[in-house]
Amino acid sequence: MDTLTLLLISPVLSILAVILIRDKALVRLLIPILFWTNIALSLLALMPVLGNNGESLVINRDLSIEFLNGAFILLTAFVSACALTQTPLFFKVEEANSLSPYRFGEERLYYACAALFHISMTFVFLSDNLGFLWISIEATTLTSATLIYFVRTKHALEATWKYLIVCSVGIAFALLGSILIFASSQHGAVEGGSLTISELIAHADALDARLLRLGFICCLVGYGTKAGLFPLHNWLPDAHSEAPAPASAMLSGALLNCALFAIWRVSQIASASQSGPSSQFLLLTVGTITAVAASFFLVHQHGLKRMWAYSSIENSGIILIAIGLGSGPLFLLHAINHSLAKVALFLVSGNIIQLTGTKKLSEIRGLLSTSPSWAVLLSAAALAVTGSPPFGSFVSELLIIMRAIEMKQFLVAATLIVAITLAFIAVGMQLFRILFGTGKTVAPTTRSSGMDLVPKLLVALSLICGFTSLPNYLLETKNTPTAHNELNAPKDCSVSLSL
Amino acid sequence: MFSPMEWCLMAAATMAILMVGSLHVRVNLLCYSILTLLIAAGTACSAMASNEPHLFLLAAAIAVFKAILITVFLFLIIDKLDLSSDNGASISAPLAMHCNIGLTACSYFLVNDLPAPAGEVHAWVGSMAGLSMVMTGVVLMLIRKLAISQIIGFLILENGIYTFALTQTRGMPLIIEMGVVLDLLVGVMVSGLLMFKIQSSFEHIDISKLTDLRD
Repeated sequence: MDTLTLLLISPVLSILAVILIRDKALVRLLIPILFWTNIALSLLALMPVLGNNGESLVINRDLSIEFLNGAFILLTAFVSACALTQTPLFFKVEEANSLSPYRFGEERLYYACAALFHISMTFVFLSDNLGFLWISIEATTLTSATLIYFVRTKHALEATWKYLIVCSVGIAFALLGSILIFASSQHGAVEGGSLTISELIAHADALDARLLRLGFICCLVGYGTKAGLFPLHNWLPDAHSEAPAPASAMLSGALLNCALFAIWRVSQIASASQSGPSSQFLLLTVGTITAVAASFFLVHQHGLKRMWAYSSIENSGIILIAIGLGSGPLFLLHAINHSLAKVALFLVSGNIIQLTGTKKLSEIRGLLSTSPSWAVLLSAAALAVTGSPPFGSFVSELLIIMRAIEMKQFLVAATLIVAITLAFIAVGMQLFRILFGTGKTVAPTTRSSGMDLVPKLLVALSLICGFTSLPNYLLETKNTPTAHNELNAPKDCSVSLSL
Repeated sequence: MFSPMEWCLMAAATMAILMVGSLHVRVNLLCYSILTLLIAAGTACSAMASNEPHLFLLAAAIAVFKAILITVFLFLIIDKLDLSSDNGASISAPLAMHCNIGLTACSYFLVNDLPAPAGEVHAWVGSMAGLSMVMTGVVLMLIRKLAISQIIGFLILENGIYTFALTQTRGMPLIIEMGVVLDLLVGVMVSGLLMFKIQSSFEHIDISKLTDLRD
């Protein structure tokens, strides 16, 4: 079977299963199985690019996979599988808790849209063409809107509308940016112009600098809206807090990576051209401001999932700094660590919200005494997200700061340290209140067994990322010097860390 | 002198500015349809001038999907929701329209600063029309309060971006444009359905009143 079939067969089969099978138990069993099979098949398809020899898979002129794309496809497959394993368990509890008759049709629509969402995210990483990249990103917006609206409440409706409109308008600017980059290639760089990213990077020196700069800014605004960069982040806390927890996990753990990956692709073109330093400056500035602003927002939060949404914005900022520093491996490393921890955190929060029956931080108190196992899991995931040792995010955040210092971006490094510390303190204080606080506690309701399996797996993986030599492996073997690295980075690109 | 394509695109941009001046939803939608047909005609003129047959296909797709299908769909929604006019504009219609004329002048200066497309003497007329429509779309989305007006604003914004691409780059590859049209079509369908839900949950579609989710 060819690569594309291997990558897409499981999600397509799950859509068919949802359409054809009406048995509730069978559908709830099949979806997780198909998505775990998807990981195995993706691994099989991506073996050549993930190996040590640095091959790239070219599917056709517009679709190709290199190491970074392959790793992100695998990460997305893993996040989708984890979220969709938890989804049936989550819905079982919803069904038990709901007062009105449960509508299974809506749940089936959810699965179908989740599978479509997964397919469109996979295409984001496959695209080697600015046009296809844009189409895939817009498709992720349309398919995920249904997931956010799943609970059918007024708040969910408001969040979905905001998400759809804000992201569509934002992404429209990314289309304008792509057109400007296309136009910049028509001034002698490529005969007739090109939208193929690898071709644009190869001919970056011949691109029209003014059009390219303008195009880069438009793309940053457009895809930045989708990545939740400050001040275009308005939709993100609403969407993440109103969607069902497994959908929030997918939005935060996979969708943000897609938008940031699109920015990475465009920044590769800009960096390879004469406007490299200015684009780097822009990325670092926006990334730092986003991280700092999100940390300040974290201090005053009233909703459990809203708090994690702001933490996602903060991490988007940190990842953008990694992109600005021109380091693909650091971008990937922090994206992996953030996705693992954040998916665990959203899934655990979903369960806690079901247990206590409230989303409000002020009403969730004394969790350590009422349900100690969930409390421990929540704290572990929260510590992992805020970058505490010994979890993986600690290593990646440290490496990003070290890299910034190495590249003489002292202000960025200092501000980033402040932002991370502030976020840690803000989350730590809220967590302390949740665990030990006294006051109004809501009696635990019914719960489905096995719900802690996936979060436990994710937290364990996050720990493994912190202890093993994954960072060294990525940085030393995969730091293939792109034009950008040659331009900006010091001679020895790898920042090794002895643990 | 201007080419037929440039006349069509300028007429479309003028139509967009006129739309800002009317609060009547049906008039707005009809204007949108005419505007899109003018852009399709502009594309066809460009196809004839440059002898690129794929642009004819694109012109047909724009006329069928964007000008007719989307308009019919939105008219159906207007009928079902019994909407007549958007009374909630945050600044008065004539004032907004005049501001928009100023924005068109701004887009002239912006476009003049861009290098002319390869192999052409000038493209400022079409590109200016495109940027002007982008700005009109943004203005409509910002000042109008009904959900339907926001969708119309978004459609004009997208039309502006398409026009800009047509004149600045002599058209994007056909498959990409088709993908964009498909995304737009699905987007309008999804937001149309959401509008029904907003109407049934809130008993209005005034977006400015949806302010429950705040920090």
